[in-house]
Amino acid sequence: MSSSRTAIGLRGIRKTYGKTTALDGLELDVKEGEFFCLLGPSGAGKTTTLKTVAGLEQPDSGTVELDGKDMRGVEPYDRGVAMCFESYALYPHRSAYDNLASPLRSPRHRLPAADARDRIAAIAELLGIGGLLDRPVGQLSNGQRQRVALGRVLVRPARAFLLDEPLSHLDAKLRQQMRAELKAIGAVQNTTTLYVTHDSVEALALGDRIGVIRDGRIVQTGTREEIWYQPCDTEVARAFGRPRINLLPGAVAADGGFRSADGKVELPISAAASPGTEVLIGVRPRDLALGEGPGHELTGTVYVTEVLGRSVEVTVRLGEQHVSLVAPRADTAGLRPDDPVRLTVRPENLLLFEADRPERPGRRIGR
Amino acid sequence: MTGMTGLTVRKRLLGWLADLALILYFVFALFPIAWMVILSLKPANQLFSTYFSFTPTLGSYRTVLGDSEGIPFVRFFVNSLVVSVGAVVLSLVVGLPAAYASARWRFKGSENLMFTLLSFRFAPELTVIIPLFVLYQKLGLFDTYVGMIWVLQLVTLPLIVWIMRSYFADLTPELEQAALLDGYTRKQAFFKVALPLVKPGIAAVSLLAFIFAWNNFVFPLILTSNEAQTVTVGALSFLGGDRPKYNLTAAAALVSVVPPLLLALTIQRYLVRGLSFGAVKS
Amino acid sequence: MGWRLTLRPYVLIVPALLLTCGILYPFGLGLYYTLFDFSASKPQPDMVRLHNYETVFTQDAFWNSAWVTVLYAVGAAAVETVLGVAVALLLHRSSIVGRVLEKILILPLMIAPVIAAIMWKLMLQPSVGVINHLLKPFGLGGVQWTDTPTGALLSSIAVDVWVYTPFVAILALAGLRSLPASPFEAAAVDGAGWWYTFRRLTLPMLWPYVLVAVIFRFMDSLKVFDIIYALTEGGPGDSTVVLQIRAYLEAIRFQRYSFGISYTIVLWAVVYLAAMVLVRHLGRIQRKAAEAK
Repeated sequence: MSSSRTAIGLRGIRKTYGKTTALDGLELDVKEGEFFCLLGPSGAGKTTTLKTVAGLEQPDSGTVELDGKDMRGVEPYDRGVAMCFESYALYPHRSAYDNLASPLRSPRHRLPAADARDRIAAIAELLGIGGLLDRPVGQLSNGQRQRVALGRVLVRPARAFLLDEPLSHLDAKLRQQMRAELKAIGAVQNTTTLYVTHDSVEALALGDRIGVIRDGRIVQTGTREEIWYQPCDTEVARAFGRPRINLLPGAVAADGGFRSADGKVELPISAAASPGTEVLIGVRPRDLALGEGPGHELTGTVYVTEVLGRSVEVTVRLGEQHVSLVAPRADTAGLRPDDPVRLTVRPENLLLFEADRPERPGRRIGR
Repeated sequence: MTGMTGLTVRKRLLGWLADLALILYFVFALFPIAWMVILSLKPANQLFSTYFSFTPTLGSYRTVLGDSEGIPFVRFFVNSLVVSVGAVVLSLVVGLPAAYASARWRFKGSENLMFTLLSFRFAPELTVIIPLFVLYQKLGLFDTYVGMIWVLQLVTLPLIVWIMRSYFADLTPELEQAALLDGYTRKQAFFKVALPLVKPGIAAVSLLAFIFAWNNFVFPLILTSNEAQTVTVGALSFLGGDRPKYNLTAAAALVSVVPPLLLALTIQRYLVRGLSFGAVKS
Repeated sequence: MGWRLTLRPYVLIVPALLLTCGILYPFGLGLYYTLFDFSASKPQPDMVRLHNYETVFTQDAFWNSAWVTVLYAVGAAAVETVLGVAVALLLHRSSIVGRVLEKILILPLMIAPVIAAIMWKLMLQPSVGVINHLLKPFGLGGVQWTDTPTGALLSSIAVDVWVYTPFVAILALAGLRSLPASPFEAAAVDGAGWWYTFRRLTLPMLWPYVLVAVIFRFMDSLKVFDIIYALTEGGPGDSTVVLQIRAYLEAIRFQRYSFGISYTIVLWAVVYLAAMVLVRHLGRIQRKAAEAK
C-alpha cells in the first residue's frame, strides 16, 4: 500500500521564535499513502512541524515539498491538506454539524448540500457523534469535541491528513477503541497521514513508520521493529516500552566484555569497543526471564514486586543497580523481597550504548 | 428562628450596617439626578420659592426642545448624534484592521502605533485643540461635522483599537488557521470566523466610544460655534444670560444625558474591559 | 509570499497610521508654534525660541496653577480610590440591596462631566441651591460653596468624586470577583478575622486592579477641564485655575496662541513623566502580587 513516492518532504527546516529554536534543520519523508507517526515529548517541535507542512508557519529556511512540488508561496488553502488541531479549533459559535460542514461549504471543497449531508452523516456515524450534530460546540465534552475536530478533517478529500494528538482527550477505553478503528477508516487508508503523538504505545500501534523528534530534529525514523530493536540512542530506547528499558552503567573491561560500575555484573558483548569505554547496557523488562533458560545468567535478590494484571513487574537488585522485569504471574508466586533469584537474558536482546553525556544521550554502538 | 447565637446577631447587624452604608453612597450618587428631574419639572415661578412641593409641568422641556430662548437645542442634539456616530464609524473602519493586525502579527511599528494611540488617551486635549483651532480656521473646518469627527478620533480611535486588540488577542489564531485549511481565504476566515466571535466586543466598544464622544465637551467648546455645536456645550449655554434659567438648564442637561445612560445600561457586562483599556477583564 | 506576508499587517494598519498622523500633525504644529510669539494681535509672528517657556516658568500664575492641579489630582484620586474600593467591598457582599444598586452604579460615570458640573452648580448655589436648604436643619445654611477659594476647590473635587468613584468601584469589583477562592477558604478554616483577611489577602491581591484605576484617575485629573470650566471657570480669583484652564484662558480668551500652547506642552510633559513613573510602579506591584499568589 505504501509506494516509494514521497508525499510530504521536509528539507532542512529551521524555525525560530525569538531566541527559542523550534525546528533545527528538520528532515522528514512521508511516503504516499503511508501512516506516519511523529513521536516526541512536548516542546519537541511536533505541532510546528505540522503547521509548517500546512503552510500556517513559514520556515526561516528549508523547503516543504508536497508530492514533489516546492510549496514556497503556496497559501494553506491551496495546499490541499487537512489538519486536526490539538486544541480542536472548533468554531465555537456554530453547531457540531456546521463545524463538520465547514470544509464542504468552502470555495475549494464545496459539495452540493445533499451530498455534504450524507458525507457528514457517514463520518459522524464512524466517530460515534451522530447524535450530537445539532448541539452547539460549547455543550460538548472534550472527547466529543475532539471527535468533531477529527471528523472535520475526515469529511473532505485531502492530499494529506495532519493529525495533532487527535485522541489525547478521549477517555482510556474510547481511545483504545478509536485507535483500532482509525486506521480502518477508508479515508485514512487512502490518504497519506502524518500523525503527531507523545504516546509511544499509540505510535507503535498506528504507525506504518515512526519518526522520533527531539529538540526540533528527527533523531530516528523506521518501522516499529526498527525503532524497538535498534533504537538509535538511550533516549529513544527509553521512550518505548513500559516498564522502561533497563540501562546498566558500566565500562568495557580488559577482556572486551561488559562490567557494571559496581563490578557485580559481567556480560559478554558483541561490539568492538576499546577497553575502558564507559557504556550502558540495555535490556527490556520483557526480555529478562526468571529462572533458568538459554542465554546469559545473572543473580540478584528481589527488591519489590507489583502485580500488573496477568503479569507481574519484579524489581530485582543486581549489585547496586535495580532492574525490572515482567514475568507471568504463575512464575512469580511466592517471591518475597530479598529472595535470591536467577535471571537469564538472550545475547541478541542486549543493547549496548555509549554512556549518556550532558549534551546528548548515549548512542547505540552494538546489539 | 429561636436560639440565634450572639455571633449571628452580630453578623446580621453588620450586614444591615453595610447595606446602610451602601444606601448612603447611592443617595449621594443618585440625588443630583433626581434633583435635576425635580428642577426640570418646576414651573418658572416656583423655581426659587419652593424645594420639594410644586406643580409639575413639562414646560421646560417644551421650551428647550422648542428651540425658544434662541438656543437651537434640537439641532445640537442632532449634531451630537451625527458627530458621535461619525467618529465611531470612522474609528471602526480604520481601527478594526489595525487592532486585528497588531493582535495577530508581531511587526515593526505595531507597538509604536499602539503606544502612540494610548498616549492620546492621556494627552491634555488642549495640546492638540489650540493648534487645530488655528488650523481649522485656515482649512474651513471650524464649526463643521468633518472637523469634529476628525478631532474626536483622539477619543474614539485609541479606545476602539486597544480594546478590540485585546478581544482579537483572546481569540486563538488556530480558529482562523482551521478555516484556512477548510479551504477559506484569509479574508473569508476573518469575516466568517474572527469577526462573528468578537461581535459582542465590537458592539460594546462602539457604544462606549459613542458615549465618550457624546460626552466630550472641550472639542465642541473650542472648535465649533453654532452649526456643529453639540449638546454638552448647548446645555451650558442655558446658564448664560442675565437671569439663570435653572429649570431649562436642568431639562437640557437631562435630555443630553438620556442617550449615554440608556446605552450604558445595555453594555454593563463589557464595561470593565472598556474602561480600563483592556487592562482588566471581567 | 515573502514580501506579501511581511506586507500584510502593514496594509492593515495604514489607515490607522494615517489617522494617527492626522492627530499628531496638530501636536507637532503646536510644538512648532511655541517657538514663536503667535497671537491674534500678531498674525505674522517672530521666532522667539524658548522665550515662551521661560515666561511660563517664571510666572507666579504657572506655579499657582501647577499647585492647584496637583492638589486637585491628588485629592480627587485619593478620595475616589478609598470610596470606590469601599463601595466595591460592600457590593461584593452581594446582599439583596447590593445586587439592586449595582445595576445603577455606573450612572454618574456615564453622564458627561460638564453636565455633572452643571447639576452640582445648580445644587450648590448658595442662596437658592438645594444643598444649603437641606443643611439648614443642621444649622449649616448659607455656605458659600463655590465662592470661597477652598470651597471652590473642594466642590470641584466633590464633583470629580461624584462622577468617577464608580470607575474605581467597577474595576475593584471586577478584581474582587476574579480573586481565587482557595486562600480565603484556607483563612476561614484557620479562623482568621475579617481585618486580617482584608489586610493580608484581599488588599494585596486586589492592589493591581486598584492601581490600574488609580493611574487612570490620577492622569485624568491632572488634565481636568470640563468640571472646573462649568463649575467655577477657575475662580474665585485664581483659586481653581488648573493648568488646562490656564491654557484655555491664555490661548482662547486672550488669543495668545503660542503662549497658551506652551502651557499645554508643559502639562503634557508632566503627565507623560507621571505616566512613566506610575507604569513602572505598576509593573513592580503586579509582579509582587503575582508572587504573593
